[in-house]
Amino acid sequence: MNRVAINGIGVVAPGAIADVDRFDTGGLSAHKAALVRDFNPRQYIAPLKMRRMNALSRFAVSAAKMAIDDYGRELPRETGVAIGTAFGPVQTSVDYMREYVEKGAALAPPQLFAESVANAPGSHIAIEWGLRGFNITVTQRESSALAAAMYAASQVLKGSVRAAIIGGVEETTEMVFSVLDRIGALDDEQRNGMVIGEGSAMLIAEKSESAKYGFLSGFGIARDTTASISDWGSDPNAIVTAMRNAIDDAELHVADIDAVFVSANGVKRADDVEAKAIAQLFGERMPRLVAAKQVFGEYAAAGALQLVAALREAAGNILINSISAGGGIVCAVVTR
Amino acid sequence: MRAPDPTIRIAVTGAGIICAIGRNKEEVWRAITESRDGITKLTRFPGETFPTDIAAEVVADLTPLLPISRREAKRMSRSDLLAIIAANEAIAQASPPRERAIVATGTSTGGLLEGEEYYFTRIVRGRRRAPASRVLQQPTSAPSDAVARTFNLGGGVMSNATACASAGAAIGMAADTLRSRHADVAIAGGSDALCRLTYSGFNVLQAVDPSPCSPFAAERKGITLGEGAAYLVLERWDDAVARGAKILAELRGYGASCDAHHPTAPAEDGSGAEAAMRAAMGEGSGVAVDYVNAHGTGTLLNDSAETKAITAAVGTRIPVSSSKSYFGHTLGASGGVEAVITVLALREQLAPPTLRLDVAANDCTLDYIPHTPRPMPMTNALSNTFGFGGSNVSLLFGRVL
Repeated sequence: MNRVAINGIGVVAPGAIADVDRFDTGGLSAHKAALVRDFNPRQYIAPLKMRRMNALSRFAVSAAKMAIDDYGRELPRETGVAIGTAFGPVQTSVDYMREYVEKGAALAPPQLFAESVANAPGSHIAIEWGLRGFNITVTQRESSALAAAMYAASQVLKGSVRAAIIGGVEETTEMVFSVLDRIGALDDEQRNGMVIGEGSAMLIAEKSESAKYGFLSGFGIARDTTASISDWGSDPNAIVTAMRNAIDDAELHVADIDAVFVSANGVKRADDVEAKAIAQLFGERMPRLVAAKQVFGEYAAAGALQLVAALREAAGNILINSISAGGGIVCAVVTR
Repeated sequence: MRAPDPTIRIAVTGAGIICAIGRNKEEVWRAITESRDGITKLTRFPGETFPTDIAAEVVADLTPLLPISRREAKRMSRSDLLAIIAANEAIAQASPPRERAIVATGTSTGGLLEGEEYYFTRIVRGRRRAPASRVLQQPTSAPSDAVARTFNLGGGVMSNATACASAGAAIGMAADTLRSRHADVAIAGGSDALCRLTYSGFNVLQAVDPSPCSPFAAERKGITLGEGAAYLVLERWDDAVARGAKILAELRGYGASCDAHHPTAPAEDGSGAEAAMRAAMGEGSGVAVDYVNAHGTGTLLNDSAETKAITAAVGTRIPVSSSKSYFGHTLGASGGVEAVITVLALREQLAPPTLRLDVAANDCTLDYIPHTPRPMPMTNALSNTFGFGGSNVSLLFGRVL
């Protein structure tokens, strides 16, 4: 059977959802996020190298180091890297623009510019471990990490690489937090909404008959054509299509699914559409539903952490949903 | 799960482009044949002072080119609008079925231009009073979402921000998505609008030529920044034939690699780029290549390393050129813009030249087709795109009679 084994996992997980103390939320409606706390990247990255990395890269490289240590062998040179991030290093762009405004366009620091590209974390990982396969950074909002996993798994099966590092990384920044707050997307006392989170999870994928954690066994994609640029859409059929495609791709039947890690993030109208879709697909025989974003918060780190959480489940076939604002949907099936 | 089926051929059934030398394929190709570049004084950021002052801007008014209302357009970023214009041309040409059509876009900045404006407004007016509507289109997923929404495409969206290799990666990812039958049609390419951060950033890296860029030349000093968007419509060959679509070219191979060398500089020996080209040619079953549309940025390091890579992968007699000498470096869009140029070159059997190449540098030892286009028989052509972080993508296109 065609499936991709996961043989290493590394995680930089956020702590509990709590009041944001990293930046000032005064004057904003929302105040909570799932932030990474008490994280010491020095445990994973040499000091000289760390100086060249922003927070996003530090999360990603640390998670990759843990995943590779967990894998326990040297990765082949022909290893690909596919990382998902919804917003990338927004804080680095903000820092660059601050210098640009203060010092002028000709005197802003080149190091910040180099680190402002979304693929900086993936690049650091390739350099650190000499990985010369494909190196792609997928940026499809909430679905980024699962879309990255889909691409990497296809390349492992195709044989264009011998292994791949798959993952997601996100940093909660003042800029993103305040803009989402302004448009009313975040959870506060008055309204339903999402809590955003940060961190990283990395997984080592390869083609092998045995797996330490489990297998990526199927993917399905679709798009809800009723979605606007800032909305998740209202058509459950698009979600049903993506879920069914993923289950078909895994050569399973709907009845074989034991649990669904839902995409639900606390935005009621989007959660309701997903609930309808799940009811439509599974009918009377409803599998266990797990809302992991209640722990991890929203965005690409959550996508990768959901994948890890599903792989750490004791048994069974698990469907993972990832639904994006803008209408993009990616579903994955992991099996033991 | 289904692996990409290597026996499935990928047809290009539509192409759309907007960049400094034209608003569509016809205008762009006319400029190519007339050796007319689109590099002028930078006008987009009045009042800002940069160490260099030229660029390859899209000067055309975008509004009449848009198939959407002014009201919708006002909420979108310039990268979104460029993407919609190019996708519109590609989709109009191919008229593909839309239900299982995906959009795969590569972009390095997305709506960063609008993000910068929001940032400046915030400094002056404070974060509670700066208008947040357009900054919503800042994420690099926005051009894909905007194209998918405009054309009512239901297959899915797949964006990547892999620096200057983004659009090439998008096209390769899209082809494998079709080969594994996760979608039936792909609108694949890239879009990037000029913004202050990148204009300033490449200047502080001292990577910008104060004169129009002259790739592979002895006097080359760096890149000229450009902007634009381009998309291809891709389908499985048999599907395209079955519905009677006109096939413009075949996407015969996709290769991706990483230098694993340096955050911004390419590996000097060109080994990563060579690996990407070899992988693309390998998918094309070891076909002979007749022309290489080079990444050819005009920086000292790229042009030297790429020359080594092409020499190792394809040999010393291959004609090579950099169409960035016409429309600058369109960053995340470059893989898409140059894929369209490569497809047009195969159709017209005319290789675009490298403009301003009077004397090739000592470390640039290939046939770079200086000054004027060269009519020549071409069956297969490679299009290279390499990016920050050492990401390399090479696409192999084949002529269709």
